[in-house]
Amino acid sequence: MIIDTQLASLFTAASLIIIGIFAVGFLDNLIKKVIGLAFIGDGVNLFLVTLGYKPGGIVYIYLPSMTVEWFAQNASYPLPFALVLTSIVIGASTLAVMLGIIIVLYKKHGTISASKVLGDNGEE
Amino acid sequence: MNIYDVVLKRIREIQTKTEEQEPLTNISASSTLAAEITLISSLLIALVMLRLVNTVLMIVIVLAVFVVALTFMPIMPRLKREQNDSFNSMIFFVIVALGIIITLFYWGNLNV
Amino acid sequence: MNPLIPIMVILPIACALLLNLLHKKDKTIKILAILVALTIPIIPLIASYGTYFFGGYAPLAENSAIAQNLPAFITSSALNVFHPAITYNFDSAQKVMVFILGLIAFLAIFTSLNETKKPSGVYAFLMFMGTAAVSAILLTDDIFNLYVFFEIAAITQVGIIVASKVKNNYETALKYMILGSVAAPLLLLGIALLLGLTGSVNITDIIYSLKNGVVDPQNPVLLMACGLIVFGWLYGSGLPPFHTIKSAVYSKALPHGAALLQAFSVFTFVALGIIILRIFSFLPFAQIVIIVISLLAMILGITMALMQNDFKRIIGYLAVGELGYIGIGLGLGTALGITAGLFQAINEAIITAFLFIGFGTVLYKTSISDTRKLGGLMIENPKVALLVLLAGLAMAGVPPLNAFQSKLQLIQASISAGLPELGIIMILISIVTFMTFMKAFYTIFMRPKPVELEINDKNIPKATIISMLVLLAVCIILGLFPQIATDLLQVLANSLVI
Repeated sequence: MIIDTQLASLFTAASLIIIGIFAVGFLDNLIKKVIGLAFIGDGVNLFLVTLGYKPGGIVYIYLPSMTVEWFAQNASYPLPFALVLTSIVIGASTLAVMLGIIIVLYKKHGTISASKVLGDNGEE
Repeated sequence: MNIYDVVLKRIREIQTKTEEQEPLTNISASSTLAAEITLISSLLIALVMLRLVNTVLMIVIVLAVFVVALTFMPIMPRLKREQNDSFNSMIFFVIVALGIIITLFYWGNLNV
Repeated sequence: MNPLIPIMVILPIACALLLNLLHKKDKTIKILAILVALTIPIIPLIASYGTYFFGGYAPLAENSAIAQNLPAFITSSALNVFHPAITYNFDSAQKVMVFILGLIAFLAIFTSLNETKKPSGVYAFLMFMGTAAVSAILLTDDIFNLYVFFEIAAITQVGIIVASKVKNNYETALKYMILGSVAAPLLLLGIALLLGLTGSVNITDIIYSLKNGVVDPQNPVLLMACGLIVFGWLYGSGLPPFHTIKSAVYSKALPHGAALLQAFSVFTFVALGIIILRIFSFLPFAQIVIIVISLLAMILGITMALMQNDFKRIIGYLAVGELGYIGIGLGLGTALGITAGLFQAINEAIITAFLFIGFGTVLYKTSISDTRKLGGLMIENPKVALLVLLAGLAMAGVPPLNAFQSKLQLIQASISAGLPELGIIMILISIVTFMTFMKAFYTIFMRPKPVELEINDKNIPKATIISMLVLLAVCIILGLFPQIATDLLQVLANSLVI
């Protein structure tokens, strides 16, 4: 059975978020944790894009030959696409900062195991 | 042996169990005691607010929590151990909190 | 349209970027940073109230030039009042909060420039960026814009820790970022659910849709959105379960950085708390959750503060615990309670900054933050010790200082809302707060100096003393004349209740 594109995207988004939370919680490797975080962010972005999807809809560019009524009925919803671009940029910069910090920590500890690097090291 | 000594002995026991190297000074013992008392008393007072739901339920729960708190004294060293700086325990509590909040919002609003 | 409203956000960002361009020109940077930092608290005082639409796109109802060319099926629908542009709201409550944030930012930047003696570098840049982000969070009426600045604020907080050169700061920064990268996308998911339901990210529009039957308020998707936004709120302000990481963040920053970081948390807490109250006021459960979380923050914050030995960590946990008072004020949901909660937020931001800068002098003289290794600093510098003691008294709520007024109002509000238990807990926690403070104060200042403790001869910079005196003056003024702030905050509180 072929399911609806929008429904399939929503399922993918949900599974991405759940896999991401699992990875952050239960994998020990810091890089894998960061990949999990990227999954959560991507899942949410996919959800946002899916909101703007309209079956059979057109790109939201208003051409002189269109009537306003026809355009309002057929254009897909533009706002989520604008939002998701911003959100991707934010996600990318956060990932860059995190990976940068991981490089510093790797040089300091010689490992990227979360339980060793981020454990409770006795100091308060 | 008076109650203060008993409590002090229990704190010392827990501290040796958690392998903390800190010496047990007067200041740390008294602050642990103060934290203990604050925790239990404010918890009990907060539970009194259950009277808005049901008075009998409130009395039962307050008494039950009081008895449980007394038997598990001292709670504070264990609570401190739970809230340590290890990332694994932090992320564990964060995910648990996420689950609790989402569940409560769904369940709480559909049934109240 | 008031051009001064976006300037509150744009000026610090522009200054931050300019500081990077002027790298190594220390004198210019110092003068520019202090001048701009001084302007930040002045702008909200002279700006007049109003809204600002970015790009000038007012709602169709106010914009007849565009509206007359559109067919009736658009202008007669809810779209007629929807806000197409990112909207900033500037009202009396925002005026007080942006002013206080600007004041703390100015004092933090002023002290840091004089204490570190190295104006170049990213530190001042990050402080300005963070201030701009939190001002935007306070001003914006657009929930996605809020998310963007929420993330910028989180990254600048991480940057301030990383730039601080405190032991183990990178570990704490990474922990905070990972937790943030779990919580912030979930906040965005909550916002996306609201967008999907109402078709708008403007908070006023969302409320309009809910109140006027465009969207069914009983829709379970809204409950999910509320839960996710509450979760993002917990992360942004460091309420449990994020209290351990937030207090660690404060303790890994330099004292003036920490003074600014806690102000960020307090105002993020207030801004998101108000949004939750505005959108989800029809869910009585949301208010119960706010009260329960606040109680948990108070109890866990204060008990953990008692167990700590590092004084930066002690103040960090106290700062988290004090957030609970604000939360209780907001959660009570009455006009009196919300006014008192907002007033407490302002007071707390000032007093905690005061405490951080005050205890920062200890770090400046000894470079040690472990209370077990300190002592006898009262003889070294009795004036600073007196100022720190006054800050502690203010935090505990001793008259005539400001927190006394707000805590009194909170207790009155909780009694009149029919929940006197909350009042009793607040008094109890206040007493224990004072005890925690006295424990730190006694071990650092009053007991005999340990033999191995070395105190350097550097004089405490005048800027630090001036900052503390300014904060003390604000504490006393607000303590004697609380109506200066409460009159302005009441407008917002009244609009939330109806």
